Amino acid sequence: MRFSAFLSVAPAAILFGTFFAVPLVVLIATSFTSWSGRSLEIVGFENYQRMITDPVFAKALGNTLFYLAIGVFVQVPLGVGVGIVLALKLRGWKTFRTLLFIPFVISGAAYALIFSMFYNPRSGLLNSILASIRISGRDWLFDSETARWAVAGTFAFILGFVMIVIMAEIASIPRELYEAARVDGASELQQQFLITLPLLRNAIGTCVLIRVLADIGMFDLVFILTAGGPDDATVSLALYAYRAYLQGDWGYANAVGTVIIGVGAILIILVRRLFRIGDR
Amino acid sequence: MTHSKFGRAVVIATIAAGSMTLGACNASGTEDAAGEIVITCATCQESPTDPFLQYNYEAAQRFNEEFEGTYRIETLSNANAGSGDERLQYYQRLALADDLPDVFQLNSAEIAALSETGSLHDFTDDLASDSAWADSFQPGTFDALTGAGGEVWAIPQQRDPIGIYYNKDLWAEAGYDELPSTWNEFEDGARAIAATGTIPLALDGDWATMLMWTNLIGTAPGGQDFLTEGIAGSNYVDDEAAYNATERLRDWHVEGLVNSDAFSGEFQNAAAAYLSGSAATVPNGPWFVKTNLQGDAAIDGLYESTGYSVSPGWDDGQGLVVVSGAGWVSGTEDQTELEAVLAFLRFVSSEEEVIVQAEQTGANPAVIVDEKALEAADLEPLSSALVTASNDVAQTYPHVRVHGPAGFGNAWKNLWPAYVQGDIDTDAFLTRLAEDANAGGEQP
Repeated sequence: MRFSAFLSVAPAAILFGTFFAVPLVVLIATSFTSWSGRSLEIVGFENYQRMITDPVFAKALGNTLFYLAIGVFVQVPLGVGVGIVLALKLRGWKTFRTLLFIPFVISGAAYALIFSMFYNPRSGLLNSILASIRISGRDWLFDSETARWAVAGTFAFILGFVMIVIMAEIASIPRELYEAARVDGASELQQQFLITLPLLRNAIGTCVLIRVLADIGMFDLVFILTAGGPDDATVSLALYAYRAYLQGDWGYANAVGTVIIGVGAILIILVRRLFRIGDR
Repeated sequence: MTHSKFGRAVVIATIAAGSMTLGACNASGTEDAAGEIVITCATCQESPTDPFLQYNYEAAQRFNEEFEGTYRIETLSNANAGSGDERLQYYQRLALADDLPDVFQLNSAEIAALSETGSLHDFTDDLASDSAWADSFQPGTFDALTGAGGEVWAIPQQRDPIGIYYNKDLWAEAGYDELPSTWNEFEDGARAIAATGTIPLALDGDWATMLMWTNLIGTAPGGQDFLTEGIAGSNYVDDEAAYNATERLRDWHVEGLVNSDAFSGEFQNAAAAYLSGSAATVPNGPWFVKTNLQGDAAIDGLYESTGYSVSPGWDDGQGLVVVSGAGWVSGTEDQTELEAVLAFLRFVSSEEEVIVQAEQTGANPAVIVDEKALEAADLEPLSSALVTASNDVAQTYPHVRVHGPAGFGNAWKNLWPAYVQGDIDTDAFLTRLAEDANAGGEQP
């Protein structure tokens, strides 16, 4: 019994060890070194001290938290709202569900290219629309004032994942609860606020958790849309680490990677506690 | 199957799989069953969009045909074969794994960085032992490919004078029969063109913008020194040529003489403005004719309306950017493989092959070619006119993107939009540009 249990766990343990545990240990260990691939020298906390004093790191951390906040406070509430409305199965709900899910399945790179055309100051759709109502456009992606918002605007409205999770969760809520509420005279709106929303706590918490995990490592959209510019106005932590890696500063890049994991872990613990995920 | 038989089978299968993997990894450079020396090329793949890769592919096929039974090029499929920011990183990873291809192409900044790994072959002795081959190259073509210790890290692929394309009709409307010869005249003309609602100058925030910056610096007194030596240092602010050029180029943006989508880093934005007839001028290399001007995106008659000129100058005559940065490098030190590598490099630098490359890509030969052979080849007239002009211009200088530090392009793309929009002043821009561009000096 013990041997078969060991066998059943072994593949997962080997994969976990090979592709997560060992790289994590290497990442953290080398974050205390000056490492260029050829030479390795232990430098203690020097990389972390350098990080604290680098204004670009502060920008990268601020931007990453900004993207994360947009994901959590814009995408999740919108997705929850749309999911609840679609779960009412009003006329045409399947069409809307499909349309809203499409952006979720498009690759980040393709999505970024579409939006770079959308934001193009000379021939983009956004400026053309604004021009039609006599509002002057601007270079949204390369203007320090608007770049961060423009990048966030590309993913804030990708509601597909949250919407589907919410709809699936609503489908599992017993119908009897709504029937009893109706008998007690609760309106449709009251039913959604007093029955549906509280029972969606776990699903909403899961969506927030997944957004945190996705946005803490935000890279592809920023890299393709702006490469972190202008003047690092859009740079994310992952892109900041990538730049250090390109410069052969691998020890420093791994220190940034360690910070990303640390910040992510703290946020995950907070979200789990806030939504009491797993407590039923 | 019993446990012991199963275990034995697993061990045998593992060893077999490992052997096959190692065998596959070790395939290059060894003699195959036909007795040919097989080498790998990482920039010899077919490409419908990149004429240089396509030429390399066809050249490798011709080489294989000519040297059948002796040498053979095996083409590697490489997503990073074309130029791009990730190419250097890709080869650095391979160098660390001691698995560089036997032959591939890099630009000079990439060569400088990759040579630090100690994995590139030094061609010094090969050229010294074959003076006829060494002397066949044009003067200066090895400059950007030579290391600090005199190592020759690459065999030059081309030597391109790079100029400025201009729409003769649009400039004529502003009263100019040809591109002005001084920057002040150029600005006057640009303002006149802007007044008609046309974009005077199409830029992209990257290659083309840096090309104009290079032109402005290179034609100024002392500017060539900055572009050849100062660019790898940290003192950009105190260089008068660099300082004035930076402010002048910024002013063009501020004045509205440049397309509004000039910050993206995508050359396509600059090209689209010119090809659609909405911009009067765009700087680029001779390959622009093949890849854009003769493509479907160009409006009817644009090729005939296009002139190709050297850069205007400050007061002392015009100038020209010369790029000879791209070269063939080798990642092997195996003597058997090197024999095949050198045979291939002699092949692609032969007079016959460089003319074929010039015909197919629009690029100009890195080797000295007999004038009659060039005439007979009847190269593309618009772009090849600059080859002749390059002998007469007052200044020639290298492009910062190709000859500058490896981090220059990324630093520029990050800072240039913020500088133009007034977020940072000239001193801060140049200081940070120098720092960021040179930050990647120590590559793995």
